[in-house]
Amino acid sequence: MADDEESVRVEERVKIKIGEAKNLPRRSHGSDANIFCTVSLDQEEIYRTSIISDLSPYIGEEYEFEVPRLFRFLSVYVRDNVGPGTSRVIGKVALRRQHLSNIHDMDHWFPLRPVDADSEVQGKVHLEFKVETIVPNNSSSEPKHRLSVRLIECAELSVKNGACDPYAVVSLLYSNGRVSSKKSRIKKKTTSPVFDECFFFDLPDFDREDLRASVRSKASTSTSQLYQLRDSPEAVELQVAIRHDTAGTTEAAFLGEVKINLQGLLSMDQKPIWYLLNPREGARSPTAASQNIDLGSIRLRIHYTADHVLPSAAYSSLRDLLLASVTAQPVSSSAVFLLGEIVGAKLDAAQPLVRFFMHHEKLVPLIKVLATHETARVIDPNTIFRGNSLATKLVDELMKVSGPHYLRSTLKPVIDAVLSEKKPCEVDPVRLKNPAEAAANLENLLGYVRQVFKAITSSALQCPALMCEAFHQLQQVACSFFKGNNEVRYSVISGFIFLRFFAPAILGPRLFDLTTETIDAQTHRTLTLISKTVQSLGNLVSCKERQTVKEDYMQPVHSLCYTEDHIKAVRQFLEIISASSNPDKHVMAEPVMLKEGMLIKRAQGRKKFGRKNFKKRFFKLTTQDLSYSEKKGEPPLFCIPLSDILAVERLQEDSFKKKNMFQIVQPNGRALYVQASNCVAEKEWVDLLTKICQTNKQRLKHYHPAAYLNSNWLCCRQTREDAEGCRDVTSGLQGAGLQLSLDPDRELERIHSLFAAHMNKLEALKAACEHQSYAGENTESTTNNISANTSLPPLFEDARSCFNTLRALKEITLKLVQRHRSHLNSAQSRTQLGTIHAPIGDDNYLLLTTRASLLPDRQI
Amino acid sequence: MSKPPNENLPAYKLVVVGDGGVGKSALTIQFFQKLFVTDYDPTIEDSYIQHTEVDGKWCILDVLDTAGQEEFSAMREQYMRKGDGFLLVYSVTDKQSYENIVNFHTQILRVKDRDVYPMLLVANKVDLVHLRKVTEEQGRELAHRLGIPYIETSAKDPPLNVDAAFQEVVRIIRNQPAFDLEKGRRGRRRCCIV
Repeated sequence: MADDEESVRVEERVKIKIGEAKNLPRRSHGSDANIFCTVSLDQEEIYRTSIISDLSPYIGEEYEFEVPRLFRFLSVYVRDNVGPGTSRVIGKVALRRQHLSNIHDMDHWFPLRPVDADSEVQGKVHLEFKVETIVPNNSSSEPKHRLSVRLIECAELSVKNGACDPYAVVSLLYSNGRVSSKKSRIKKKTTSPVFDECFFFDLPDFDREDLRASVRSKASTSTSQLYQLRDSPEAVELQVAIRHDTAGTTEAAFLGEVKINLQGLLSMDQKPIWYLLNPREGARSPTAASQNIDLGSIRLRIHYTADHVLPSAAYSSLRDLLLASVTAQPVSSSAVFLLGEIVGAKLDAAQPLVRFFMHHEKLVPLIKVLATHETARVIDPNTIFRGNSLATKLVDELMKVSGPHYLRSTLKPVIDAVLSEKKPCEVDPVRLKNPAEAAANLENLLGYVRQVFKAITSSALQCPALMCEAFHQLQQVACSFFKGNNEVRYSVISGFIFLRFFAPAILGPRLFDLTTETIDAQTHRTLTLISKTVQSLGNLVSCKERQTVKEDYMQPVHSLCYTEDHIKAVRQFLEIISASSNPDKHVMAEPVMLKEGMLIKRAQGRKKFGRKNFKKRFFKLTTQDLSYSEKKGEPPLFCIPLSDILAVERLQEDSFKKKNMFQIVQPNGRALYVQASNCVAEKEWVDLLTKICQTNKQRLKHYHPAAYLNSNWLCCRQTREDAEGCRDVTSGLQGAGLQLSLDPDRELERIHSLFAAHMNKLEALKAACEHQSYAGENTESTTNNISANTSLPPLFEDARSCFNTLRALKEITLKLVQRHRSHLNSAQSRTQLGTIHAPIGDDNYLLLTTRASLLPDRQI
Repeated sequence: MSKPPNENLPAYKLVVVGDGGVGKSALTIQFFQKLFVTDYDPTIEDSYIQHTEVDGKWCILDVLDTAGQEEFSAMREQYMRKGDGFLLVYSVTDKQSYENIVNFHTQILRVKDRDVYPMLLVANKVDLVHLRKVTEEQGRELAHRLGIPYIETSAKDPPLNVDAAFQEVVRIIRNQPAFDLEKGRRGRRRCCIV
C-alpha cells in the first residue's frame, strides 16, 4: 500500500457563478457607482467581471478553473470603479475551502463584509525560538538567560500595490506591559524572503531551579525539558509581524502576524516551525462598529469538486463494468444507465461519462444504445430528445467538449457585429415607444438573422467529426423507430445543433466564451430575437405544414424568413453534419485555436544585461503553432511551430523575482520566459503546452528550473548556455490526445464518488430489483400484474441482470471507499504539524484529506 | 364580462417554467389564443400580454414562456428575477420532468431570497391517461412538500383547467401578505464569513 500513497493526487475544480448583488451602499457624493467583482484565491486575483452601473447589479457571469495550488480562501470582492484603473472595495465574501462543499452548487445570498488591510492576509513564516543561557565571564555574577528567536524565512506573502518588500518586526511582550521590539532587514521584491536573522530578548528573573520543581510536580511525560518563565516581569507572548516597506511614503503595509503564547512553557529542543500568518487582531476594534453596517449582499453559486485520484489500477473493475454498458443487454441493466437513474442531476453523471467514454472511443456507441432505449419509449415523435434524459445530456456534453472551437469560428464574427453596431431590432409594438420604428427595426433584425443563418448553414464541413458521428447515429435510431416520418429525420438533429448548441450561445454569448463585453438590455433583446428566429428556422424543416406563429408580432419576421431557399439550406446543412462519412471533416485545413490571452514575456533577442526587458504580448496557441503579437488581431511578431516546443516547465520564482513564470524551451536550449497574470492562468497554459509537448518526439529529458543569467544557469551554475538541463522534465499523463486534455482516472474517480454519494439510492434500487426478481421467479405468469399493481416506479426490464450489475457496483464502490479511507488514515498519520505543508494555525490541513471524496458532496 | 377599464391596471409578470417538452407553450398558447398547437417548435423565450379579469378585478397579464432545455439554465435567473408568479409545469407522462420541479422551486426561492413566493404546481397532459407515469397522489405530495397549490391541466381541446391555472397564480399573487422585504426573507447566513 505504501507505494500507492505517493501516487494519490488531488484534483480540485471550482465553477463560480456570480449572480447579482443588491442593496450596495451609495457613494458618499451621490454619483453613480460602477460595480464590478473580482475573484481571488487567497490574495491573488484570478478573475474580474465587467462593470455595471447599478447598486443592485445583475452580473450573471461564470468562471470555471482548475485549482492550481493549495488555498485557504476563495473570495469575491465587490468593487466600485472610481476612475480608470482605480477602484474602491465595497466589501467581500470570503469562503473557506472546507466550507465550499457545503454550499455545493446552490444559489446563496452572502452578506458583504468590510475589507481592511489588516484582514487581507496570506502566507506563512518559519521560526525557531529557544531559551539560551549565557555564562558571563565574570564568574561572580549570575548566569543570564535570553530568548533567541531565529527568523528563517517567509512564504507566499501577499503583494500590496504591485510590490512586496517585506521586513519583520519581532516583539516580546512582558507581563508588565513592556514590549521589546526588533526589526529585521528589508528584503526587496520578494514574496518569499529568506531572512535568517537572530533576535535576542532578555529573560529577567529566570529561575531554572524553580522551573525544575514545577516540571517535577507536573510529572510531565514529555521528554523535552520544560522551562517556566516566572512571574514578574514575565515574557508572555512572542509576536512576529510582517510588513511591506513603502520607503516612508506611507505607513508600512501590514502583511500578517503570528502571536505565540509563551506563558507556561518553552521547549528546549524546539525545532523550526512554520506558522500561518493571521490578520491583525488589535486593529479590528476601531472598525468593529463598521462590522454591522449593511454593505449589501451578493448571490453566488459555487460548484466545487475535489477528487482524490487513486492509481489507475484501482479503478480497473469500475472501468470494465462501465465500458460493458455499451454491449449490456438490456441497456437498462448497465452501470451507466443505473448511474443516470440514481444521480439527482443527470449533468453530473454526463460530464465524467462523456470524457471517460471519449477516451476509450466508445462515446458514440454508448449514446446509440441509450438513445435507442429512450426512443423505444417515446410517445410523440414531436418531442423526441427534448427532455433532460441521460442520452440528451451526453450529447449536450459531447457538443460542449468537442464543439467550442466550431462554435466560436461560426458565430463569433456575427456576434461581434451585433455587439458593436447595436442596431435596434425590437419588433414587438408593445415594447416600442414609437411604433413607426418597427419597420426599420425589422430590417435590422432580418439583416442579423440572415448573417447568423448564413454562418451556420455554411459551416457544415467544419462541424467536428465526433458531433457528426453522434448525429448520424441519432438519426439512424430515430428513423428506424419512426419509419416513414420524414420530419423526424431532421428534427432529431436540429433539436441538438440549433436548440441546444447555437440558440443558447446566441442568447448568452458571454457564457459560451463568444465575447467578454457587457451586454445591455437592448442588445440582450436583440440577441433573444435572433436566437428565437434562428431556432425556428432550424425547426422549420421538420414541420408538416406551415407553422403556427406563436407571437403575433413575429409574423412578419416569419413570413420574410421562411422561404424555400432557407428550408433547402437548413436541410442541406443537417444532411451534411449527419452524413455517415464525410471525407473533408477529418482534414483540419485551418489551424484550430486552442488558447489565447495576454502574457508577459521576456525579450528573446536578449542583450546579456537586458535583464528587465519584459513586455506584454497577446499569445495564441493553435494546433499548428504558438505565436505572439503586440495586440489581439495583429500580425504575429514571433512564431514557434509546435514541433519546436521541446519542453514546457515552470520557472523558479527567484530567477526574475516574478511569480507565475514558465519557460518554453526551443531548439539549442533557447528558452522563452513567460509570465502569466495569475496562478490559474499559469496552470492552464502550462498544462496545455505540456500536453502538446508530450506528443513531440524531440521532447527534452532534462531542463533547467531556473534562468540563464549573467553567463550561468542559476540552478546548476553551469556556464555554457547549451549545457544540458539539471532536472528531469515533468512526467505527464500518458496517452492523452492533443486536442483534448482527457484524464480518464480522474473521471473514474468522479463517477465513483457519485456512486458513493448515492449509495442509499443504489441500495433501494437493489432491494426493489431483488423483490421483482424474486416475484418473477415464483409467479412467472403474474409478473406483469405485480409490477402494474405496486406503486414502486422502477420497473426493471430484466431484474436479474440488473441485480447483478447493482451488486457489482456496490462491491466496487465499497472497495474504493475503503481504499480511500486507508489512504486518508495513513496520510493523516504522516502529516507533521509545523511543517511547510501543515503550518500551525492552519485549521484545514487535516480537512484537506478528510473532505470531499468520502463525503457525499451533493445531496438534494 | 365587463369591459377592461382604461385606468392604471395592476400588471403581473407570470413565468412558465419546467422541463423541455412538457407543454409550457401549449398551455400558454391555449390560454392566450384559445387553440391547441400540434407542431412542436421549442421555445427560446416568448412573451404575451393580455388584459384579463380575475374574480371581477381587471389586470394586465404579462406571461413569459421559457426554454425547458438545461442548456438555457444559466439564463434562467434573468427571468426569475423579474417574475411576480411562476407556473411550475411538468408532464404526467415524464417522470424526469416531475423530479426536476424541485430544482426550479429551489432556484426561484434562492434568486428571490425568500422562503415563500407565489408559485403553482401544474401537472400537464392529464388527457394522456394510458401513458401517465406520475399519479395525482405523487403530484399532490410534491405540492404539499413545496408548500404550493396543485392543479391538473390539459392543453389539448377541450382544454382542462388552463384558464384556471393562470388565474390561480394571479390569486396567489394578490393574496400574498403585503410585500415586506424583511418578512419571508431567508435568514442571513453568517457561516463561512471572515
